[in-house]
Amino acid sequence: MSIVCLGIEGTAHSFGAGLVSSKGEVLSNVWDMFSPEEGGIHPREASRHHSDLGPKIIGEAIEKAGVTFENVDLIAFSRGPGLGPCLRTTATVARTLALKLSIPLIGVNHCVAHIEIGCLESRFEDPVTVYVSGGNTQVIAYAGRRFRTFGETLDIAIGNMLDTFGREAGMRFPAGPRIEIEAKQGRNYHTLPYSVKGMDLSYSGMLTAAKRLHSEGIPLNDVCFSVQETAFGMLAEISERAIAHTKKKELLLTGGVARNNRLTEILRGVAKRHDAKFHRVTPSLAGDQGAMIAWTGILQYQVGDVIEVAESQVLPKWRTDDQDILWRGE
Amino acid sequence: MIDEPWTLGAESVIYKIERWGQILLLKQRPKKPYLLQAIDAQLRQSRTSRECKMLNVARGLGIPTPAVHWVDRSSFTIAMDYIEGTRLRELVQDVPPKTLEKLCVRLGRLVGLLHMGDVVHGDPTTSNVIVDRIGKMWLIDFGLAEMNATTEMKGVDLHLMKRAFETTHWDIQNEMLDAALTGYKQTLGENANSIIVRMEEIRERGRYH
Ligand SMILES: Nc1ncnc2c1ncn2[C@@H]1O[C@H](COP(=O)(O)OP(=O)(O)OP(=O)(O)O)[C@@H](O)[C@H]1O
Ligand SMILES: [Mg+2]
Repeated sequence: MSIVCLGIEGTAHSFGAGLVSSKGEVLSNVWDMFSPEEGGIHPREASRHHSDLGPKIIGEAIEKAGVTFENVDLIAFSRGPGLGPCLRTTATVARTLALKLSIPLIGVNHCVAHIEIGCLESRFEDPVTVYVSGGNTQVIAYAGRRFRTFGETLDIAIGNMLDTFGREAGMRFPAGPRIEIEAKQGRNYHTLPYSVKGMDLSYSGMLTAAKRLHSEGIPLNDVCFSVQETAFGMLAEISERAIAHTKKKELLLTGGVARNNRLTEILRGVAKRHDAKFHRVTPSLAGDQGAMIAWTGILQYQVGDVIEVAESQVLPKWRTDDQDILWRGE
Repeated sequence: MIDEPWTLGAESVIYKIERWGQILLLKQRPKKPYLLQAIDAQLRQSRTSRECKMLNVARGLGIPTPAVHWVDRSSFTIAMDYIEGTRLRELVQDVPPKTLEKLCVRLGRLVGLLHMGDVVHGDPTTSNVIVDRIGKMWLIDFGLAEMNATTEMKGVDLHLMKRAFETTHWDIQNEMLDAALTGYKQTLGENANSIIVRMEEIRERGRYH
């Protein structure tokens, strides 16, 4: 018998609800992104967005899946890592539902969920995952019962870097899509700091230099072009190091920044060089949404990784490698 | 003359050749077709010269490193001594705990020596440490090394070493880190503390709070 899990995501600016069956069918996936008029995300405002819109989004997810609350067997929620206020709002919604429906509650690691939904879609078994979003830049691979972070940013995340630069250049949040369009028109490369340390990287120096280029009157399309080539180049290099080091044969690209076509092209090149398969997760499953939480909830449930409401406190700093992955083999 | 590559690094192709009755190793940095040409050319060039220079600088600080024989700037190739031995990465699995502890203490001392000279290695993983037949420990792969290192840079270097233990030797990462930091403190004394604190801070950055 197939079971159905309602997954609730709300670690940062997006709130989402999705229903997934234990056969791996995504029955529905509804989300809304809090996009302030100006400036970056403010944790409190974002959490208000989640509590205001949460019930409606969950209702829609149930409706779109063509089920009722009685058909839901499990509730999974994003327990961390993320912004404290957002996580707490999301957890409250999840706990209420689990208690009301008397069904098991599952706390899911947001980063692990990105990987697992990517594996479901691509049918990859054991990839090196490049997870790039507003708040995360990580290269992750499975080793010794855990997803381990082989490389990550030492300062700001790639999406945050793009948005911050975009704001400086008068673009609306999120600025990534506009930067990609501008970059396509760019021709002249202006040198920006390229900072790779082992398998880690750093974007803050590059960001400062890019802002300076812009303020000096270098054409915006050339600056965007230079920003993308430099930022993605660094990411490609640490991904390549992770592949060479782990000898894995699959490369998975996910997270909101995975929408970028130039980044995809570059990473496809990396995979090809190492005879690895490449997959970019579809935008609807790559961003922050509930289906990934639901699917990972099912995987956890199947190995008994369930929590009591009383012990379901959120984990804002939950590291990817801090969870034993009981549903994967050695 | 140059035949099959002997091995592949993440950013290099390695050949073994014989010259003057001696075995040499050629480290070549090939083109990365997926990178913007301008960035790739600049990286290959700067890392090749950096590696040559820093292998020598490190040796001057008392760290065993392979001697550089020549550099071919047109093909981004360095010819250096071949160090016959086993990488620490492989040794970790084979040696008894006591020996491993001693090896890690020695690694920590070498990294400490580098840092004492205000140099960071840039990629201090167990793949970049070779133990030769007589048990001497060598450091290789200096393409990301830097001079005039600050506390921050040294903290990052230690963080990278810790990261390498964590991802590659997870079952004994704590023992390895403790031993390496013991060796590090033996070399740097009091000065080690602020750098170790920085290493821990660095780990917490780049994420939500
Ligand atoms: N002088 C040397 N003597 C013996 N073996 C060496 C020497 N230099 C390199 N090697 C071998 O070649 C491998 C790759 O070399 P190196 O680390 O310099 O290249 P790389 O491309 O920078 O590697 P990576 O990024 O994978 O660490 C080493 O792990 C080691 O096994
Ligand atoms: Mg190496």
